[in-house]
Amino acid sequence: MSEESDERSKFIKAYTAMVLSRTLDKKIMSAQRQGRVGFYTPTMGQEALQIGASMALESDDLIYGYYRDVPLMLHRGVPMENIINQIMGNSADEAKGRQMPSHYTAKAFHFMSVQSPVATNLPLAAGAAYAMVYQKKKSVVLTTFGDGSTSTPDFHAAMNLAGVFNLPVIFLCENNGWAISLPVEKQTKVEIWTKAEAYGIRGIRVNGNNFVETYNAVLEAVKRAREGKGATLIDAISFRMGPHSTSDDPTKYRSETVEEGSEKDPLVVTENILKGKKYIDDKMIDGIKTKAQKLVDDKFNECEKIKPPEPMTAFTDVYKNMTWMLKEEVEDIL
Amino acid sequence: MTEMNMVQALNSTLDLLMSKDSSVVLLGEDIGKDGGVFRVTDGLQAKYGPERVIDTPLVELGIVGMAIGMAVNGMKPIAEIQFQDFIYTAMDQIINQMAKIRYRSGGDYTVPMVLRTPYGGGIKGGLYHSQSGETYFAHTAGLTVVTPSNPYDAKGLLLSSMQLGDPVIFLEPKRLYRSIKNDVPDGEYTVPIGEAKKIREGNSISIITYGSMVPTVLSTVEKNNVDAEIIDLRTLLPMDLNAIMDTVKKTGRVMIVHEAPRTLGMGAEISAIISERAIDSLLGPILRVTGPDSPFPYRMEDYYLPNEKRIMKAVNKLMTFG
Repeated sequence: MSEESDERSKFIKAYTAMVLSRTLDKKIMSAQRQGRVGFYTPTMGQEALQIGASMALESDDLIYGYYRDVPLMLHRGVPMENIINQIMGNSADEAKGRQMPSHYTAKAFHFMSVQSPVATNLPLAAGAAYAMVYQKKKSVVLTTFGDGSTSTPDFHAAMNLAGVFNLPVIFLCENNGWAISLPVEKQTKVEIWTKAEAYGIRGIRVNGNNFVETYNAVLEAVKRAREGKGATLIDAISFRMGPHSTSDDPTKYRSETVEEGSEKDPLVVTENILKGKKYIDDKMIDGIKTKAQKLVDDKFNECEKIKPPEPMTAFTDVYKNMTWMLKEEVEDIL
Repeated sequence: MTEMNMVQALNSTLDLLMSKDSSVVLLGEDIGKDGGVFRVTDGLQAKYGPERVIDTPLVELGIVGMAIGMAVNGMKPIAEIQFQDFIYTAMDQIINQMAKIRYRSGGDYTVPMVLRTPYGGGIKGGLYHSQSGETYFAHTAGLTVVTPSNPYDAKGLLLSSMQLGDPVIFLEPKRLYRSIKNDVPDGEYTVPIGEAKKIREGNSISIITYGSMVPTVLSTVEKNNVDAEIIDLRTLLPMDLNAIMDTVKKTGRVMIVHEAPRTLGMGAEISAIISERAIDSLLGPILRVTGPDSPFPYRMEDYYLPNEKRIMKAVNKLMTFG
């Protein structure tokens, strides 16, 4: 394959994943409004930066992500069912319906189970990176978080550890400008990428709405990490087009918006990049969107029919072996 | 068989574990050249190198978080928190990550690691070098909590903890680090997790205790010729239900002794377990001799720690009840 056609297929794959993610996002949001889904943290507006990052990774690299990483997962090849089943908390969910929606696990894709408390995945990413170096593996670790996470002690701890131990970690700040209702200017007085200097690691800012820019930045960070040159903090600027979650109304705290389909929408930015390179035209775009809608509708309907988990699954996997207390409690409950 | 104190027993056990399995690493503050502030890791960095005996920056949540990330990825970390009093910044990592990863990942990811930390008073450490925070951990599903009271159990419990496949909070009673010597077998053996030990036979009264209070209870009982049965729990989560029930049914009089504050301490749970299951075996109230519900004092620490006088007061109250 020529270099150009290689790039073309990569870029089309990226755009297809973006469309799929956006379509799924809107489907879940609307299903939540209909009472078919309990909760959701939409990803709209962060597709380009996540997919740019995913493009730069190998399949055996590790991801310590957060609750808004659906585009990244889909691009990486995680089946859409994994995500929908998790949202539904049904019996096919990898984590057995235990976690509220948006807390994914995809072990086969090295996507670590997601927690709610923000940034607590970052020290784990440092430990995972230490393990990779110790075991002489070439894998690097990508960890993701929002701009709000940068105020936490865990962010500081992980950045410092990555610096001190020269760890192969890529800290990808999905800077969407908002931590629920708090704008980033009130979160921190400096630009996030500049915090890297305090830890002796590399820090850069990229336009997160441009997947090529993010891809190149993450690619460089991955290369450096694999060569033993340490960690990078990437401040990927984007915009949270939706609410923080289905439980808040952003009109209450912000007037700024990015409308879907506007020039700032990362999907439109991506379409323009691909059109500029003549990799894609309006007809192809329509085709990709129509196909995505059908796929999402079909998968959603399929997954919705899957039974809830067995009640017993609420109590297993606490330990390798169930304690006598829990056995007794379960007997009382079931 | 070698006679050793608890520090020596732990040190030699860590050495044994590291010599047998290269995935075992240690991490913590000052554990390298300094050998830890209590010298538990003395000499191990010189022997195994700084990649395996890792001096970390001063950040408890980072130590725990990093160890979790290692454990999830095929390593067997043993992390040290210098004093249990300093563990609280890492509680989010312990409660929301370490304890919940197996469950929340549907069993995909597990955290086979040990988190060691010295606890308890009696070393003139004041508020922040003396706490007994076992309840905080024992209240968290997903954790296993153990505490040895002697060098033999320290080795056996550490070896068992490393085989468990789940995270273990390993509480070391620092007051006993060097005060007791045992014959400790040179090779491998285990002290099963969840198994208490009856350390003294008796018929009139049962004293349930663990960790740092075990020697105090034993010497008090022997000195005063009390016909007491003493149970050393050794594992606080999950507790040994059978050992507790057997002794309650045998003597009908129960006392619990621990150093941690009384309110919602382990004694509260033990007392509830007994009253739910064996209230008709009781000949008197279940009494608790514990640390008070106050911070741990510096100069007056002898007033804080349960002692012979307080233990005997409760023994006499119980023996003359009714």
